[in-house]
Amino acid sequence: MQRPASHVSAPPTTVAVDLVGVTRLFGTVPAVVRADLRVERGETVVLRGPNGAGKSTLLRIAATALSPTYGGGTVLGFDLLREREQIRARAELMTHSTRLYEDLTAAENLRLWCRLLGIGPEGIDAALDRVGMLEVAGERVRGFSQGMRQRVAIARVLLRAPELLLLDEPYTGLDSEARYAVDDLLRRAPSEGRTVVLATHHPAPQGLEHRTLHMDGGRIVREAP
Amino acid sequence: MSAVASPGRPGSFRQAAAILAKDLRIEVRGRHAAGTLLPFAATLLIAFGFAFGPGREVLERTAPGLLWMAVLFSAVMASRRAYQTETEDGALEGLLLAPIDKAAVFLGKAAAVTVELLALVVAVLVMVVALFDLSIGSPLPLVAAFALGVVGLAAVGSLFGVVAESARTREAVFPMLVLPLVTPVLIAGVRATDLAAAGRTSEAAQWLGLLLAFDVVFLSIGVLVFGYLMED
Repeated sequence: MQRPASHVSAPPTTVAVDLVGVTRLFGTVPAVVRADLRVERGETVVLRGPNGAGKSTLLRIAATALSPTYGGGTVLGFDLLREREQIRARAELMTHSTRLYEDLTAAENLRLWCRLLGIGPEGIDAALDRVGMLEVAGERVRGFSQGMRQRVAIARVLLRAPELLLLDEPYTGLDSEARYAVDDLLRRAPSEGRTVVLATHHPAPQGLEHRTLHMDGGRIVREAP
Repeated sequence: MSAVASPGRPGSFRQAAAILAKDLRIEVRGRHAAGTLLPFAATLLIAFGFAFGPGREVLERTAPGLLWMAVLFSAVMASRRAYQTETEDGALEGLLLAPIDKAAVFLGKAAAVTVELLALVVAVLVMVVALFDLSIGSPLPLVAAFALGVVGLAAVGSLFGVVAESARTREAVFPMLVLPLVTPVLIAGVRATDLAAAGRTSEAAQWLGLLLAFDVVFLSIGVLVFGYLMED
């Protein structure tokens, strides 16, 4: 039996992400080494570092897509290892994989998620309109560019309205319109009460208040304003 | 698996229905069954028909086995295809990270493969009756044999499809995992079909019982462990 995860009350906490001593090995190769990550609710944190620094792995651990080999912590007040479904009900991981079905239309992809998650479909048009994809809502994703796919993925995020947004290189392969959609999502996050952790090589959107952490060799090596 | 919907959150069966509808829509648009499975099954049957020659008795005796061979290999291909659509753009990870009952994903995918295979069985059965002159002595046990057998094949295929996705050599791993496990379905299906075609209903019922037990076991295993298999 599975408990309905979204109806378990979140523990009262001002900390959105609190990972302590997290290590992740792939075989014997360490991807993340004794990382501590603390993000306050409503805060935006940008992870920077060279390729292979461990940014993606750390995000995937926070999203419960990967388990830490050692260490643990909480996300939105829920235990990272024992309360995965509660975290998944409130967090969204966005990567350059858009998780769309190519033989479904943009609207059908969103309708599927509405049916799975029990969200009313009345917000689909508004979400697609906000990312500039309403005109092609009835077209199959197979014919979309990477930027158009990413905009549909952003529309899905808007429908779900997660408390925590984890973005892994969201600008990869995007056109200017899609980059604008990502920037808009980030800029609105604080006013919408959303916590954001973003791993990127790109500059953060202008005017976005954020904290930057640098990773290298699987470790968080320093914090910069 | 929770069958009761909580406020605002659909129950597991509604989630399974959403996965089923999605997979069937993708299948209809991709025309995989019509474009790949049916020609494959037809070629297999015609090739064996020529190999065995025009002798009616040999064709009648071998027809149940050939029919089930075609269904078995089509089931392997259909199950692989069901997961290929999930991995094209990371959709399977999306399902993993979604706050939904993972057993619903299993049931939805197994139901979609079952529907595809049942459509294929109808087409293949028509071909076998036409090519091999297979008589249909007792239609009801025959229908039950295919329905139960296809559910079992779809359950095993959907269960191990997700396991194979994590393997680098998934194309090779998947048949190696599935084919030994579905041997009971093949044996029971062939025997039940043979006996039903001969009108020996009560003897066919024993094999139908085996198919039913197989379905119950693998559907239960799938509901219980699918979520764990999806995890890292």
